[in-house]
Amino acid sequence: MPTSFKTLAKPAAGIVAAAALVVGLSAAGSPDVTKARVEASLTPAFTNLYLDQQRILGHADLSASAIAATSSCDRGGPKVADVGAGSDWICLVDFTDQTGAAQEGKFELQVHANACYTAAGPAKLLGGFTITDTSGRDVPNPLSAFDVCFDPDA
Amino acid sequence: MSAQPLTDLAGSPAAPRQSAGHRAAARPRSAGTWAAYRWELVKLAALVRTRAMLIGVLVVPPLVVLALQGQRAPADTLFGRHVHDSGFALPLLLLGFATQYVFPLLTSVVAGDIFASEDQHGTWKTLLTRSVSRTQIFWAKTLAAITFAAAVLILLTASTVASSVAIIGRQPLTGLSGQSIGAASATGLVLAAWASTAAPLLGFTALAIVLSVRTRNPSLGVVGPVVLGLLMSLVGSLGGTGWLRRALLSTPLEAWHGLFTATPFYGPLIQGIGVCLAWTAVCLFFAYTSLRRRDITGG
Repeated sequence: MPTSFKTLAKPAAGIVAAAALVVGLSAAGSPDVTKARVEASLTPAFTNLYLDQQRILGHADLSASAIAATSSCDRGGPKVADVGAGSDWICLVDFTDQTGAAQEGKFELQVHANACYTAAGPAKLLGGFTITDTSGRDVPNPLSAFDVCFDPDA
Repeated sequence: MSAQPLTDLAGSPAAPRQSAGHRAAARPRSAGTWAAYRWELVKLAALVRTRAMLIGVLVVPPLVVLALQGQRAPADTLFGRHVHDSGFALPLLLLGFATQYVFPLLTSVVAGDIFASEDQHGTWKTLLTRSVSRTQIFWAKTLAAITFAAAVLILLTASTVASSVAIIGRQPLTGLSGQSIGAASATGLVLAAWASTAAPLLGFTALAIVLSVRTRNPSLGVVGPVVLGLLMSLVGSLGGTGWLRRALLSTPLEAWHGLFTATPFYGPLIQGIGVCLAWTAVCLFFAYTSLRRRDITGG
């Protein structure tokens, strides 16, 4: 039965090789989503959008250095490692608001495997879906939810 | 219909070259490949499916732009929440959507059929009795499929970007670091993002070609890359897959994200081009060897 063995052996070898490649590649490499990368991307994004929001509300004189935002992120509480995609990322953003008072906002992040996430801001502190601009119109609040991407190789 | 012009293959485009004093042995491969390539394009242009796809990629984007005008912004896809604020957000929303669901189909509709249709119509023998070799037929068909993929990508990009900018406007775009991107640089970045999908589109073309050659079944050639594309997107969206995610053909379709951050990053784009070229080389190698070794003497 050399013919039937040969016809079976070739595809089988191919499948085994493909499976080995998949397993090998999955095991190799370091995680794309890390605490440091999420924090380093959230801080500038928050700063840009907070400045946007304050401009809409009529506080155009604010600067990034005056806000001095910093973020600290955690995934799934103390028992879960702070790496990987998931909707259980929480970030605390500390900043100085337009009145000069220190504030802390809690953001809920939905982080995807493609190194992008959606951050939802605290409505009480930063406003809901819409805010009212200086001319009295309701416009979308840039901070209620926003998308950020980061470099998975940084 | 699709097989008909090939019976003239030896007669028309290649023959005048020889009568003009060129010896057949002087440049046999390039002349034959070129003639066969032109015939493949003639065949493609005659197919209803090909024409429908080319017209579709021109007509559908403006309709989608108009349809989205009255809708709530689709916030679940990147740039979706800004579609009403800037005409540059919508081409990126559609790019994100297209890369998830329709990109493999754009090319497989031709590449998945171009070899298998000869099986379906039983025209391989007719084709290979003409004065072109299998190698020449292989490259002619492959180049024709790549040409179609490029045409579809260019038309789809032009239609999407032009209709979004014309209907919504040239407002500044909010980038992926919350920064504001002015109209001038946004235009270039949006076009670059669409252009960056050329490499994965080439990869999916090669994937469709290998399925077309191996399965000898046009349906499998067309649907196979779509299913594999969805499967790769699914695996890529799972976390913790290490380098496997980077090696998938669907991952480079998202590499354009790096263009829209405050500090742009190009790592995924460069890796993506390498990955796509590797996929293309492997798929075309298997397709080529399979076609070379095949016994076409039988019915």
